[in-house]
Amino acid sequence: MSGAAAIHPIKRNLPGPGEAGIAKALYTLLRALAFATLLLAFLPFFNPARITELISKNLSFFTAGTSYASLITDSGRALLRGWVTEGAYKLLYAGSILGVLGILLVIFSACLSLGNLRFKRLSNLVLLLGGLLLLGGLVLVLVSRQQFLGFAEQDRVKPMFPQAFYAYAVLALVFVGMALALQFILLPKPAPGTPFEMQTKYRLFLMFLPFAALAFIFAYLPLFGWRYAFFDYKPGGTLNASNYAGFKWFTYLFTQAATRADILRVMKNTLAMSGLGILTSWVPMALAIMLSEFKSKRFSRTIQTLITIPNFISWVLVYAVALAMFSTDGFVNGFLSVLGVTSSQNYLMGSEGIWLKMLAWGMWKGMGWSAIIYVASISSIDPQLYEAATVDGAGRFQKVRYITVPSLLPTYSVLLLLSIASILSNGMEQYYVFRNAQNAASIEVLDLYVYTLGIENGIIPLSTVVGMMKTAISLVLLFVANNVSRLVRGESIV
Amino acid sequence: MNKTKQKHSYTQRESLGGQAFNVFNALFFLVFALSCIFPFYYLFINTISDNTLVQKGLINFYPVGVNFKNYLSLRDVSDVGTAFTVSIARTVLGTALMVIASSFVGYLVTKKEMWKRTFWYRFLIITMYFNAGLIPGYLNMVMLGLTNNFLAYLIPGIVAPFNIILVKTYIESIPAELEESALIDGAGYLTIFTRIIWPLSVPILATIAIFGAVGHWNSFTDSLIFMQSSPKLYTLQHRLYIYLNTNTNLGALLGGGSVDSATAAQIMENTLNAKVIKYTISMVTIIPILLVYPFMTRYFQKGIMLGAVKG
Repeated sequence: MSGAAAIHPIKRNLPGPGEAGIAKALYTLLRALAFATLLLAFLPFFNPARITELISKNLSFFTAGTSYASLITDSGRALLRGWVTEGAYKLLYAGSILGVLGILLVIFSACLSLGNLRFKRLSNLVLLLGGLLLLGGLVLVLVSRQQFLGFAEQDRVKPMFPQAFYAYAVLALVFVGMALALQFILLPKPAPGTPFEMQTKYRLFLMFLPFAALAFIFAYLPLFGWRYAFFDYKPGGTLNASNYAGFKWFTYLFTQAATRADILRVMKNTLAMSGLGILTSWVPMALAIMLSEFKSKRFSRTIQTLITIPNFISWVLVYAVALAMFSTDGFVNGFLSVLGVTSSQNYLMGSEGIWLKMLAWGMWKGMGWSAIIYVASISSIDPQLYEAATVDGAGRFQKVRYITVPSLLPTYSVLLLLSIASILSNGMEQYYVFRNAQNAASIEVLDLYVYTLGIENGIIPLSTVVGMMKTAISLVLLFVANNVSRLVRGESIV
Repeated sequence: MNKTKQKHSYTQRESLGGQAFNVFNALFFLVFALSCIFPFYYLFINTISDNTLVQKGLINFYPVGVNFKNYLSLRDVSDVGTAFTVSIARTVLGTALMVIASSFVGYLVTKKEMWKRTFWYRFLIITMYFNAGLIPGYLNMVMLGLTNNFLAYLIPGIVAPFNIILVKTYIESIPAELEESALIDGAGYLTIFTRIIWPLSVPILATIAIFGAVGHWNSFTDSLIFMQSSPKLYTLQHRLYIYLNTNTNLGALLGGGSVDSATAAQIMENTLNAKVIKYTISMVTIIPILLVYPFMTRYFQKGIMLGAVKG
């Protein structure tokens, strides 16, 4: 019996003829709706639990149901003054938790529905439970709303009714209805003893799904934040029709004299420091060749180990090292005073030569590690080439010139293309830690500018615009670099 | 055309030029290597020497009056202990989560049977090449309630596309017969993963674990951006930065000359104490890296060679 079942696993999935089409369509709809509901739960302006204007406009239903601290974040004063009670918020929180749990169950049921009939019937039950939980959560939200309506200071509590509530209520009812229809009308009972089975491709996909979700939440969802570029948004504010600004912030970049000057200065710093990096990009290759020239491999390896250390410490620690060496009471001044020269210069303060200093620190930190990449390439060069060259009478330098360098050039060209593609991305950490009052103007690169503008000064829309421009230009550069690589080397780099 | 002539002269100079090069080469790398370790040595001898001598800047090449009380007194420096705990916790937990996820996902994406495998693999990998930007990323974390929340250190790092590529490439090099025979014996994918794939991938998992741990330990910007109103959740790097910077500010204040002498003396004393404190915190921050460093060097080559292989 089980043998026959194993041979025809698909057949058991199918309910009776006619019903199959409807059930199949319903499951497809369920998966789409479940995904849509999950997305909605992340949207701040679509929060059914925002029943009072005291609750932050930027709170999503998901956050309302996972973080009580976020839920009451803007209501501290109201709670302190007794305009509202903690109980009402706790009730609201409980409702949100139930709602979010319900949504997660709906997602779970959509996953289960990929299995055989046995799985599908379990999926229906989970869907029913999820829909009911969501409904229950919404009812709790309503009860909490009644409490908010009952508080004395109505003009301070400002109760409201979020439109999203209707959407969620409809969705919950649809889920319950679908579960009932599928379970009791559309799907037949599975034969007794039917095991839970799912096609391999879906099982593997479901194991993968949580990680895809994480990637979606942390890499794709932020793209949705680009909408801030089109609004006059202030931290804690909201996005709506009244503060829609169109392309104001995009033109602002070019029309505002002060901003334009800032952008020009920052671009100059960025291109200068990236340019210096690109101009010195051959150095690791040279170092690797020099390292490979040591007769003693043990000496070479020891040196490699030592010069790679700085790559593994953070920029904060590089800054600590810089302070210990070059600040007023650091090693250099201490050593000079031992020699009899009184000196208390702080070599880190001034802005003169800051680009070169940053290049030097970058090289100190990264050169050893970058060289090891080429050392690995050199060790994979066919030794027969060198032997043949020796037979032909080539000297040491000629072997480097005609064998080693040409063998390393492909690696070098890939790294060079990649560094050109990321010419705008210097990162902010190095420049942030070395920044001080005197060098701030000439050390500020694009990434640091975005940080200063957006996080330190709270000018969200403008900094978003700058970030968007950067992403767009970087993508174009990467695309160009990739095509150049395809043309020249015949293979792509990404 | 006169290549032979050139070669001739070249060969003649080689012994002399070559020797000169050898000397220069050895000297150059000795200086370079020294510049890479001396600062750490300097920091270390200053933390174990007599503090009054340190304050006068007299400890330059060797320690005097060796003692370890600075390390013990660090217990009284506020917040360093907390920051140390936070950094250790995020390094251990964050690395463990990342390694488990990378190995599992790396295994899954080698399975051709997976529904729309190519699409989903690209869905993950493409995230290496675009970035919504700092501000949208920050607003996203705010929206998720992950600011001022320890989980902000752990969850975003779980899916690491580059490490997934490394593990996938490595698993693809494991003979498929091992897995097939297990499948025939009735093992499920999870069993195969835990019993066969995981033990065989230890070298690559060790590599990504070490690099991941160093990344977590060194992480500074996420603490800076996401923990703005939770000083208790600052990482050790962030705490160190604050201490380093406090010192700078005190120095700037002194240079301004706008304070009376008593205050200046007090600030002076604080500054100098801060010197020892900041050196000691720096050492505490470096030591874990230097401790795992010998183990790391074993995996250098492997990590790099694999990094050169595309997904």
